[in-house]
Amino acid sequence: MPLLFPHEDPSHVRTRYKPDVIKGDMDSIRTEVLDFYANLGTQILDESQDQDTTDLHKCVAYIRDFTPNLDKSNLCILVAGALGGRFDHTLGNLNVLFVFSSLRIILITDESLVHLLPRTHRHEIHIQSSVEGPHCGLIPFPLSKSTTTTGLQWDLTNTEMRFGGLISTSNVVKGEKITVESDADLIWTISVK
Amino acid sequence: MEVMSHSSAFLLPTIPADHRPPQTYALVVLNQSLPRFTPLLWNHAQLHLCADGGANRVYDEMPLLFPHEDPSHVRTRYKPDVIKGDMDSIRTEVLDFYANLGTQILDESQDQDTTDLHKCVAYIRDFTPNLDKSNLCILVAGALGGRFDHTLGNLNVLFVFSSLRIILITDESLVHLLPRTHRHEIHIQSSVEGPHCGLIPFPLSKSTTTTGLQWDLTNTEMRFGGLISTSNVVKGEKITVESDADLIWTISVK
Repeated sequence: MPLLFPHEDPSHVRTRYKPDVIKGDMDSIRTEVLDFYANLGTQILDESQDQDTTDLHKCVAYIRDFTPNLDKSNLCILVAGALGGRFDHTLGNLNVLFVFSSLRIILITDESLVHLLPRTHRHEIHIQSSVEGPHCGLIPFPLSKSTTTTGLQWDLTNTEMRFGGLISTSNVVKGEKITVESDADLIWTISVK
Repeated sequence: MEVMSHSSAFLLPTIPADHRPPQTYALVVLNQSLPRFTPLLWNHAQLHLCADGGANRVYDEMPLLFPHEDPSHVRTRYKPDVIKGDMDSIRTEVLDFYANLGTQILDESQDQDTTDLHKCVAYIRDFTPNLDKSNLCILVAGALGGRFDHTLGNLNVLFVFSSLRIILITDESLVHLLPRTHRHEIHIQSSVEGPHCGLIPFPLSKSTTTTGLQWDLTNTEMRFGGLISTSNVVKGEKITVESDADLIWTISVK
């Protein structure tokens, strides 16, 4: 964070951007970092006994189950750093979108946004063209017998998609609104400008 | 069920003479920053393809891996045999440089239905009569870590060409398919890979059994949306995997 504010005092930046909670198995966090934030009042939740779920899984479950002060009626969980590192982590984090398919969770990197479009709904995606697009993709895990879209350069019309066959990648958003309807849960991804 | 053997010997400086089965390597370079061991992969490979902007990467970044050498010597030594794709990313001066050195340029800009990696793998499979394909292994640099639709499109290529050995390689991970048709033996080169690994079905395996992992599976069901095996650890020199479904195997690179 201090590197993103090069003209400010690092300790001012760190105090302003203080996590509310640090959660996980604590095998990566440096001791001086843990102490710094604990002294500022950050809640430290050590989950080192639970080896069955990823750090992201633990955090999403915590947000869903243990945050009475948060209005969860229109909750959207933004996740930075879920992609692009070790590939088992990438797939483990992608899996969290499917495990918690009733929650809005968006994975965010410098290059892409990724989230789930559950089969239970017809989707309208409003494109903020100053910050995202035009490259996009729609991917089933692993099969959709019928997906229909509007607003893409290569729209789908009751099209079958499957892993091992046709999936929609390197597509392009043409309009301000994309609609998607499918018989299967789909991963939607769009490039960030 | 027949055994399929896997080994990351291509990450070793010299492939052991008794390495079985003997492999013919082809290297495909996509448009991401080159892994630091790309020269090693290049030296093991008999065929070198750049997919479109991958040629920019080889041109710009190979000299950076040999900072004490003249860049044009490095570029001449690491000259792609083929540049293939829709040519919307490769810079004109890069295209001209390699064309003048004799690189075959295959313009596929009319085909918008398949990814650059798909085109390159199909080319290697169908149009390379001089290559011994009986034990072919296609190494791919730059398939992961960039735009996420590209990552999933490239992962899909492993499933589309499930009868070919294709390994996606980054500075951090190796990724390849374990087809359900075989029992798998994965020989771990512990000087260059591990210990973190994962086994992931797309989307479901009713029964997978492993040996050699810290958290082995025993007729375990795995599914996307439920349990998948990530952040596992290799404990031995040999991992075995048997499953009713195609699995993605991934292991960390040291």
